[in-house]
Amino acid sequence: MVMLLSFLEIRNLSFSYNQKRMVLKHVDLAVERGEWIAVLGHNGSGKSTLAKTIVGLLRPAEGTITVDGITLSDETAYDVRRKVGIVFQNPDNQFVGVTVKDDIAFGMENLSVPKEEMLQKIAFYAEKVGMADYLDKEPSALSGGQKQRIAIAGILAMKTDMIIFDEATSMLDPTSRRELMDYIKTLHQEGLTILMITHDIEEALMADRLVVLKDGAVFADDTAEHLFQRPEAFREAYLELPSALRIYYELEAAGDMTPPLATTLWRFGSGK
Amino acid sequence: MAIRFRQVSYAYPGYGLGNYDAIKDITLDIAAKGEFIALVGQTGSGKSTLAQHMNALIFPTEGTVEIFGKTVGPKRDRNIKYNELRRQVGLVFQFPEYQLFEETVEKDIMFGPMNFGVPEEEARTMAWNALGLVGLGPTYLKRNPLNLSGGEKKRVSIAGILAMDPQILVLDEPTSGLDPRGKATMMDLFRSIREKTGKTIVVITHDMDLVYEYMDRVLVLDKGTLAFDGTPDELFHMPRLDRLHLDYPATIRVLSAVAKDLGIAIDVYQKDVASAVSAIQKAVRP
Ligand SMILES: Nc1ncnc2c1ncn2[C@@H]1O[C@H](COP(=O)(O)OP(=O)(O)OP(=O)(O)O)[C@@H](O)[C@H]1O
Ligand SMILES: Nc1ncnc2c1ncn2[C@@H]1O[C@H](COP(=O)(O)OP(=O)(O)OP(=O)(O)O)[C@@H](O)[C@H]1O
Ligand SMILES: [Mg+2]
Ligand SMILES: [Mg+2]
Repeated sequence: MVMLLSFLEIRNLSFSYNQKRMVLKHVDLAVERGEWIAVLGHNGSGKSTLAKTIVGLLRPAEGTITVDGITLSDETAYDVRRKVGIVFQNPDNQFVGVTVKDDIAFGMENLSVPKEEMLQKIAFYAEKVGMADYLDKEPSALSGGQKQRIAIAGILAMKTDMIIFDEATSMLDPTSRRELMDYIKTLHQEGLTILMITHDIEEALMADRLVVLKDGAVFADDTAEHLFQRPEAFREAYLELPSALRIYYELEAAGDMTPPLATTLWRFGSGK
Repeated sequence: MAIRFRQVSYAYPGYGLGNYDAIKDITLDIAAKGEFIALVGQTGSGKSTLAQHMNALIFPTEGTVEIFGKTVGPKRDRNIKYNELRRQVGLVFQFPEYQLFEETVEKDIMFGPMNFGVPEEEARTMAWNALGLVGLGPTYLKRNPLNLSGGEKKRVSIAGILAMDPQILVLDEPTSGLDPRGKATMMDLFRSIREKTGKTIVVITHDMDLVYEYMDRVLVLDKGTLAFDGTPDELFHMPRLDRLHLDYPATIRVLSAVAKDLGIAIDVYQKDVASAVSAIQKAVRP
């Protein structure tokens, strides 16, 4: 029998930083090519650790990770990184160069992108994240949100099949964030596979599916519509429903729900 | 007034071609007691730069900042004990990595108080208390602060300032990277500090929901200048906040959608979910 693999397949993944405590516990997760999933979970639930194991920066204690048919190992980590880019939670971890331009180029250099093409892409993606005027600045001389935008530009420029965003827009103002999310949405429509780690439930609603981590294990893996029907479970994972649905459940409990109210609140709350 | 900005401009040294003013001609007063202020604005608008003037971490290029009676101008003044100002006004950095450096969480939080002369055992007690306040258990005390998750680091960096017990707290994006429950815990904590001690608290944030629910004054920066100084209610009554790169709180957006879809009149200016619920009930109940 032929097993059809998803683009990303994680099976029974466990990880520990120090042998004492398991930080990821038997995680199973499959992401199809072209899919967009959001990963939610309390502080310390293992989201960033999961992201780093997927790109081979941390070695699992147990389990397997397969990306586009390649099983991750020390030997294949390089090939996996050509397919999956990651924007780190702290943009400083991604900066190595003297100028912003160097830092956007860094990922492409590892992929041996020709010089001409690289320059053109640097300009293109700097423009896309609204940082075209900052190319010759030192990365350390940027504001927090500006650093995040450069970190994102560098990974977008690599044109990998999949991108992991680890709270990559957490320091953007509401308008910049929306503009950037709209652009990421366009890339998704063009086929980009996305794993987006976020604490922002409205941002998570842009995904096809939500994966909730709790204490290192997968607590839920479902569509927002389904998950939102179980508000207690959501709370149990230390998460919070979107405001519209919190209003919805309170009105319902008070016996004040009407069908038109329900329609509006539900539509608004589930981002549909 | 505890902090007075008078026509303050700041240019980072050697910034590109010519000097760029990160903040321009800022004049504002912050009271020593009882203010809960949000500092908001586009990325790069100068929020962190402004905040770093509040405890004399950087000096204005032009203008003066008076902090608890000491006037900080462009030049270092031998008569001012800057360390003392930094104890009176505690600043939490945007990136916790810039603040955490000791080998254990406990030592890191104890550093502030001890640096300002608190005896070791007392500092330890303060550290333990502060850690609990930010929602981390005692198992974190002996951990290396750099080997924590993003949100855990943020909490430790906030605990470090709480342990110093400054007269004014300035927090640069204290809730970015916190999970939803952590965010609420942290804001409730600031609110209760304000209520119990009357301390003024300044919070930089991009989260309009928090601004509306918790704060009573908002400063908006736009390309380095002060574009708005008023109450959240005044701000969110303004049209086209996207021009300031801001947005409306979720309560206002949800209630506006309900009013429009159902064709009913609702007072949409509600600060939290509970009052949004009451506003709908008032509008739909016969
Ligand atoms: N380098 C490290 N060494 C030891 N333990 C670590 C290290 N990095 C993280 N941990 C621990 O592993 C657990 C998972 O951390 P991780 O960074 O994956 O959490 P997260 O879900 O990304 O949290 P956050 O929302 O705060 O970013 C946490 O309890 C954390 O303290
Ligand atoms: N160390 C530095 N050297 C030179 N310029 C700097 C430095 N730090 C910040 N800047 C510039 O000064 C301006 C204001 O930066 P600041 O960090 O105060 O913004 P901010 O409002 O805090 O932004 P964010 O929300 O992104 O953190 C930005 O244009 C930034 O590029
Ligand atoms: Mg993380
Ligand atoms: Mg800042």
